[in-house]
Amino acid sequence: MAAVTVAAAPPPTGTVSPAARTDRIRHHAVTVALLAPAGLTVVALVLVPLVLVVRNSFARPDPYGGIRGGFTFSNYHELLDPVYLKVFGYSLGMAALNTAVCLLLGYVVSYYLAGRPPQRQGLLLLLLIVPFWTDFLVRTFAWINLLSPGGPVNALTDAVGLTDGQVQWIPSQGASFVGLVYAFLPTAIFPIYATLRGVDPSLGEAARDLGCGWWRVHIRVLLPLVRPGLLAAALLTFVPTLGVFVIPVLLGGGKNQLVGNLIVTLYTEFRNQPMGAAASVALLVLMIVSAAVLGTAASRLRRKAS
Amino acid sequence: MSGRTRIPGRLPDAVTAWLARGVIVFLYVPIVAVVVLSFNDSDVTYKWAGFSTRWYGTLAQDTDLLSALRVSAEAGVISATLATFGGLFAAMGMARLGPRGRALFSGGLFLPLVIPEIVLGVALLSVFGMLKATLGLGTLVLGHLVVTLPYAALIVLGAHRALDPALDEAAADLGCGVWQRFRLVTVPLLKQALLASWLLCFTISFGNIVMSTFTSGVGTTTLPLRVYSLLKTGLTPEINALGTLLVLFTFVIILGAGLRQMRRVLVGDDSG
Repeated sequence: MAAVTVAAAPPPTGTVSPAARTDRIRHHAVTVALLAPAGLTVVALVLVPLVLVVRNSFARPDPYGGIRGGFTFSNYHELLDPVYLKVFGYSLGMAALNTAVCLLLGYVVSYYLAGRPPQRQGLLLLLLIVPFWTDFLVRTFAWINLLSPGGPVNALTDAVGLTDGQVQWIPSQGASFVGLVYAFLPTAIFPIYATLRGVDPSLGEAARDLGCGWWRVHIRVLLPLVRPGLLAAALLTFVPTLGVFVIPVLLGGGKNQLVGNLIVTLYTEFRNQPMGAAASVALLVLMIVSAAVLGTAASRLRRKAS
Repeated sequence: MSGRTRIPGRLPDAVTAWLARGVIVFLYVPIVAVVVLSFNDSDVTYKWAGFSTRWYGTLAQDTDLLSALRVSAEAGVISATLATFGGLFAAMGMARLGPRGRALFSGGLFLPLVIPEIVLGVALLSVFGMLKATLGLGTLVLGHLVVTLPYAALIVLGAHRALDPALDEAAADLGCGVWQRFRLVTVPLLKQALLASWLLCFTISFGNIVMSTFTSGVGTTTLPLRVYSLLKTGLTPEINALGTLLVLFTFVIILGAGLRQMRRVLVGDDSG
């Protein structure tokens, strides 16, 4: 921790009087006491457990679902099985697609929002907060209602003539994807809107006056300025998508699994903790790599732009 | 943006506006469907058979769901309280650190936000397993504390940073001790933020399913876990009725936290 310099405890100059020293000690003690609850929580419930997961990923399982100890790479070796690799590949694709759609729609909604008069913006923001804050599970099973055979969507496509009779919309990969977009879209909108709102609208107008068309205004002027928001939205969408396990089960029928399903299955059904730990570490590494890639891509774009 | 300056892009602007409106409608269609179908007098959710409130009656007598509701409420109250106090103390402590220390500490505090929740759940389970701890309300609360603390810190930290430090100093000059300043100055000034933090943490805990999967015990099934296992065998109008009540609960929370507070949390809006 850096040296503490706050008005309440003036840094001593020259000789230190005993009174000033007790003051400083008391000041430090209070600071430590205030930081302790949150600090200890993070260390004991996040950092130590993460270290243990890494350790367990190299251990051997015992037949009762526990950890036998020892040191082996076999869990990671087993993770290279095509069955598992398929799950990781599918998850990455699904997460990338979900992120792309959420960013695109999130940008469109943010651009629309930022262009409204301030009063209307407040109202529209409230409209977006409600679905954002609605229970995750409710937002997921809501789609079962809509997509059931003979349900509203089916009735609609029948009426338009797109389908004939009862069509099996769920479970399917498409339904699973719609559920993912629906779950993460509000999460993506807020950071993009927050940055776009801070962009001076006269910049876009100036670009137009200088002859930029609609596309160029967005691609050359607005999008680069909104990059931090897009980056935050991408992280908030991509990382959690990989860990989701409810949506693929309820809307996808559990056939095409995400890494989240794999981890839950390994822990709760196969009771193979070391394998589950190895899959978790792999997910963690994937997350770090994708964050790094996003970060480098952003800084490279920034350099190119300037 | 006035109409005159937009002329070159009028058509694309109109298209994006309609697309945006479509997205907002898209966000509401499923929610409305849940509410409407909860009043469906039919045993299957999707075939409309007239208006009825009977599923709410069924819901009120479902003892399994009610006991799961109690577990979720208990875990929510305890973890929201702990997280909010943890966030408040952390905010006060961080104000006393130098910039480097502050950056380091907030980095640690927000770490759980960027780690997949499922990994955090698995990690906690490993610790509980090693300590041979019995999974129950205690472990559930610890798990929920991990996911709520960053949000509490985010909210309280932002509000605390906006406070004028002169107020605290003035109270000190007037002879207030540490505790008095905390009770009479800091807490009242942050009341709105603390309430928002508590309510947001409560909903996060209440709706949590990923962490709960790993940290709840045999007798402490939470509401989302119970609903999830019911949904695996099929959606019933009873679950829609429960969903409707949860949507209603969302409105109550948003109004309770205050719209301005909510906006500040989500988009950093200070203008109001």
